[in-house]
Amino acid sequence: MSRFFTTGSDSESESSLSGEELVTKPVGGNYGKQPLLLSEDEEDTKRVVRSAKDKRFEELTNLIRTIRNAMKIRDVTKCLEEFELLGKAYGKAKSIVDKEGVPRFYIRILADLEDYLNELWEDKEGKKKMNKNNAKALSTLRQKIRKYNRDFESHITNYKQNPEQSADEDAEKNEEDSEGSSDEDEDEDGVSAAAFLKKKAEAPSGESRKFLKKMEDEDEDSEDSEDDEEWDTGSTSSDSDSEEEEGKQTALASRFLKKAPTTEEDKKAAEKKREDKAKKKHDRKSKRLDEEEEDNEGGEWERVRGGVPLVKEKPKMFAKGTEITHAVVIKKLNEILQARGKKGTDRAAQIELLQLLVQIASENNLGEGVIVKIKFNIIASLYDYNPNLATYMKPEMWQKCLDCINELMDILFANPNIFVGENILEESENLQNVDQPLRVRGCILTLVERMDEEFTKIMQNTDPHSQEYVEHLKDEAQVCAIIERVQRYLEEKGTTEEICRVYLRRILHTYYKFDYKAHQRQLTPPEGSSKSEQDQAENEGEDSAVLMERLCKYIYAKDRTDRIRTCAILCHIYHHALHSRWYQARDLMLMSHLQDNIQHADPPVQILYNRTMVQLGICAFRQGLTKDAHNALLDIQSSGRAKELLGQGLLLRSLQERNQEQEKVERRRQVPFHLHINLELLECVYLVSAMLLEIPYMAAHESDARRRMISKQFHHQLRVGERQPLLGPPESMREHVVAASKAMKMGDWKTCHSFIINEKMNGKVWDLFPEADKVRTMLVRKIQEESLRTYLFTYSSVYDSISMETLSDMFELDLPTVHSIISKMIINEELMASLDQPTQTVVMHRTEPTAQQNLALQLAEKLGSLVENNERVFDHKQGTYGGYFRDQKDGYRKNEGYMRRGGYRQQQSQTAY
Amino acid sequence: MPTAHAQSVPQMASRKEGTGSGGTSSSSATGVVGKGKGKGGSGDSAVKQVQIDGLVVLKIIKHYQEEGQGTEVVQGVLLGLVVEDRLEITNCFPFPQHTEDDADFDEVQYQMEMMRSLRHVNIDHLHVGWYQSTYYGSFVTRALLDSQFSYQHAIEESVVLIYDPIKTAQGSLSLKAYRLTPKLMEVCKEKDFSPEALKKANITFEHMFEEVPIVIKNSHLINVLMWELEKKSAVADKHELLSLASSNHLGKNLQLLMDRVDEMSQDIVKYNTYMRNTSKQQQQKHQYQQRRQQENMQRQSRGEPPLPEEDLSKLFKPPQPPARMDSLLIAGQINTYCQNIKEFTAQNLGKLFMAQALQEYNN
Repeated sequence: MSRFFTTGSDSESESSLSGEELVTKPVGGNYGKQPLLLSEDEEDTKRVVRSAKDKRFEELTNLIRTIRNAMKIRDVTKCLEEFELLGKAYGKAKSIVDKEGVPRFYIRILADLEDYLNELWEDKEGKKKMNKNNAKALSTLRQKIRKYNRDFESHITNYKQNPEQSADEDAEKNEEDSEGSSDEDEDEDGVSAAAFLKKKAEAPSGESRKFLKKMEDEDEDSEDSEDDEEWDTGSTSSDSDSEEEEGKQTALASRFLKKAPTTEEDKKAAEKKREDKAKKKHDRKSKRLDEEEEDNEGGEWERVRGGVPLVKEKPKMFAKGTEITHAVVIKKLNEILQARGKKGTDRAAQIELLQLLVQIASENNLGEGVIVKIKFNIIASLYDYNPNLATYMKPEMWQKCLDCINELMDILFANPNIFVGENILEESENLQNVDQPLRVRGCILTLVERMDEEFTKIMQNTDPHSQEYVEHLKDEAQVCAIIERVQRYLEEKGTTEEICRVYLRRILHTYYKFDYKAHQRQLTPPEGSSKSEQDQAENEGEDSAVLMERLCKYIYAKDRTDRIRTCAILCHIYHHALHSRWYQARDLMLMSHLQDNIQHADPPVQILYNRTMVQLGICAFRQGLTKDAHNALLDIQSSGRAKELLGQGLLLRSLQERNQEQEKVERRRQVPFHLHINLELLECVYLVSAMLLEIPYMAAHESDARRRMISKQFHHQLRVGERQPLLGPPESMREHVVAASKAMKMGDWKTCHSFIINEKMNGKVWDLFPEADKVRTMLVRKIQEESLRTYLFTYSSVYDSISMETLSDMFELDLPTVHSIISKMIINEELMASLDQPTQTVVMHRTEPTAQQNLALQLAEKLGSLVENNERVFDHKQGTYGGYFRDQKDGYRKNEGYMRRGGYRQQQSQTAY
Repeated sequence: MPTAHAQSVPQMASRKEGTGSGGTSSSSATGVVGKGKGKGGSGDSAVKQVQIDGLVVLKIIKHYQEEGQGTEVVQGVLLGLVVEDRLEITNCFPFPQHTEDDADFDEVQYQMEMMRSLRHVNIDHLHVGWYQSTYYGSFVTRALLDSQFSYQHAIEESVVLIYDPIKTAQGSLSLKAYRLTPKLMEVCKEKDFSPEALKKANITFEHMFEEVPIVIKNSHLINVLMWELEKKSAVADKHELLSLASSNHLGKNLQLLMDRVDEMSQDIVKYNTYMRNTSKQQQQKHQYQQRRQQENMQRQSRGEPPLPEEDLSKLFKPPQPPARMDSLLIAGQINTYCQNIKEFTAQNLGKLFMAQALQEYNN
């Protein structure tokens, strides 16, 4: 019974009822006029309504009859089938049942069926004989009916108490009917009577039919009145509804019970008592059930209830007549929100409802406060729509979200008297009092931040090479616009903390974009002062460098959380580096001391740091600062995990090392594709800078045993190149660099140049730079210089002297440059030579030891250590008085050092060549 | 350092009554190549001299030309017989080159087959040693030692011929016969390479291998042919001998020498650690004994029975002494290198002076 008195079913019946009535009474048109229509064309309406009701009940009775037949022949399978059909049919008939009460025959079949099943269940013998299908069906059906009957528990107990009596009562009713007196005074009674009668209709006779018709006449009236009542109460809360219903039920029950003894005079007192008791019990039970049900909202009832309030709300929101006030709307809103987060809640429907609510609110001019509040909630539910953190919003949802936020912002801008904030308590909200400033709970910043995250998620989950990605990327402008608006809004109203947060968002959307306009402006100096002034005024806001400067400085000054500042600094550096402001970027990096403690930051910040370092390195390279470029890129490149470190993809090989959960987390950290740094470009920049450093170094220290590597990775690439059995023309970027390195080793700068800068490399790497031509010229010059150095290192031993003009011709460098390079080498003691100014020649001094001399020196060194070790053995044998040897040893060493430094010249003169 | 074949020596031990046939009988026109180093053949071994057939020399050279390259060495079996105090090597055959594919190749089987076949064509089939090529004279290795030991163990008079292709390419044939000294044989038999054992055996790197003088002998017919050829050949063919380019060879030698010195150093460090450990333990042992003694004294004064004797060696396990054989070998190798360098530089200096004189004369 409780089922029928819950708020949900009640309203559902109403909604379906109203629908039905529209169909069944096409003439009626307007519901309010119905009584009039009834009086005019009573017969017609009657027929229609009766057919609807009859149809349902007939269906039920037919099904019940089949079940009874099946029971008789012990065909449980059939029973099960029919029972399921019955349940469905009952569901269809619900609207009628709600009005009429539960039909008696329905309860009876339920009770009988349960009894029958229990009987079968107990009968072990019979069960054994039963075939498999039947046995299976039996257990299923038993469970089903148990569950089902729980809803009807009170009815069934009632029925079980006095199955006879109800039948009697029916009979009595029949009599009453024949007498022509009907219980018109109380419609409830009428309903129950009809219901009870229905049970009789199991074996419908012509008489009962007639009776039914009559009863239904009354029903019609009662229905109307009931309906009106319902509509009136409609706008009140569902709780009161159910209470009222409950009251009705009790009244019904008591009435019935009261009536029973009066009409059945011959009943004994004992019986009466028993019934009284039963009634009390029943009352208690029903009450308890109601309570239970209220408690149990999350329980197994939920399936039914879940969708119900939503459907219920819809008509009520549109409800005619109700004066839509703030209180009502807020109440409704809260009701909707209560369903939020629950298991069975239909989130899509919830969003729709909220949108309807907004519509209503705006239609009724409830003021912006309410609308803002509802909008907040709509956006929140949009975010809620995906329960899983990994999944991303559907495009339509996303669009809705953007629109909604935009609208919200519109409202907030249009109404400066609205205050929003997280810290405003629900109680202290002011949604309607226009005289005072409106106060609404909710945080626009959080919503926008969340929106931004959703955007990132969408980008992460879209295939970057599809058209879809481009479509999504178009939304970026919208996102930026929204952030900008929020920023403007918060600049007026927000706290510094909030401003910092929104600034960071803005920065995060700005830092990685190359500002082509500003770049263009830089390239073309202002022509006319008047025009440029205008331009400047116009472009002031657009110049991202200025913008970054302003936002970051604010954050540096005002931010109190370390994280925002760190991110801002990194973005700022990145932006500087992207725009080739190397010195600013470097200084900022050094001043921030981020390198010291970045390993303590959380992974996303570390990824940002890595990105920044890489960008810094590339920037240095563009400026021709190969050493800085190499140093900046060394950490990222040497690990061989650049992809992972930059958050641009997961490495496959570590798949077994991490579990599913970790992988998910890492996946969430990935940087969206449009922010990616080209890895090939990165590697190429690294390798080329390594080449420019390493090749001259290798040439200079060819015979030095303690030579260390500048770049391990570069050496690795060289080795890979050497290992190739057949060396074809270079294909990949790496092969190009390796081939270029080989040419450079020989001082052949032209070949080197042609390997580094050609069509293929342009397409792959160099054209990706904003100022590709500048970079290329720089690169050519670098190659020439370093080749010259390499050449001098490698071949200085075969020259007595070399004219600088020749060198200048060979490397196509102008004389002063050659002069400066050679001078530098001489000063750094890399080249043992002197410059002869009048003839412009380099005179070699030949102080470099030959290979043999070098080897001999190394041998001497090694022998020294051997002797030392040997003496130690001696120490052991002799005890510890080896002081004499030690002194001698030192002397020997000193002597050796002397030899190493100055000894060559003498040595050389001695050794004849 | 490539490994030498430590093959088991076949059963034919010394069979002195070998019936030498073929060209071995003639003993005229012998050219001494190996500059027999005084002490060679000083041992009490019956064999005082190795006489090699020209055929063997050519076969060894050919073997290397065909199969050896770079640091790879080639090896083969020497066949011949002992006549009085001469070891006559009259034939040889190479070991097949190893590849990973035929790991189950049976060498012993191969040798037996070869010797049987050679016997069928009436060639000396007695196993008298083996030969090996070398790379810049780096042959003093453990593998060679083991291999030669097993040879000498089975066939007393067997020798190892070391062929240096690089020196040969410079103009002078370098072929040397070595065998282990009886002292080293003793040590190897004991298989005890601890410092003490070596000390007792009084063995140093100089007394590990002894060189046996070599005589190359050809038949008269061949000698006649040689004379014929000598007339025809131009002087220019011998220019390798006068090459002044020394740096490469010298550099390689230095490099190798340096590597060995490094190894030596490491070895010494190892030995040093061992020494330190031993002495430390000795100290501990001593302390322990003293304490024990004191305690016993106290007990005695109290009238208690002294503590039972404990096995000190169990308490203080002496550290494993490093095998000294390796360092000996390294020292031997260093010695060889030094000899090589000395020889080479001496020759080169001579050449340089000669070139200088020529230059001056021309000017």
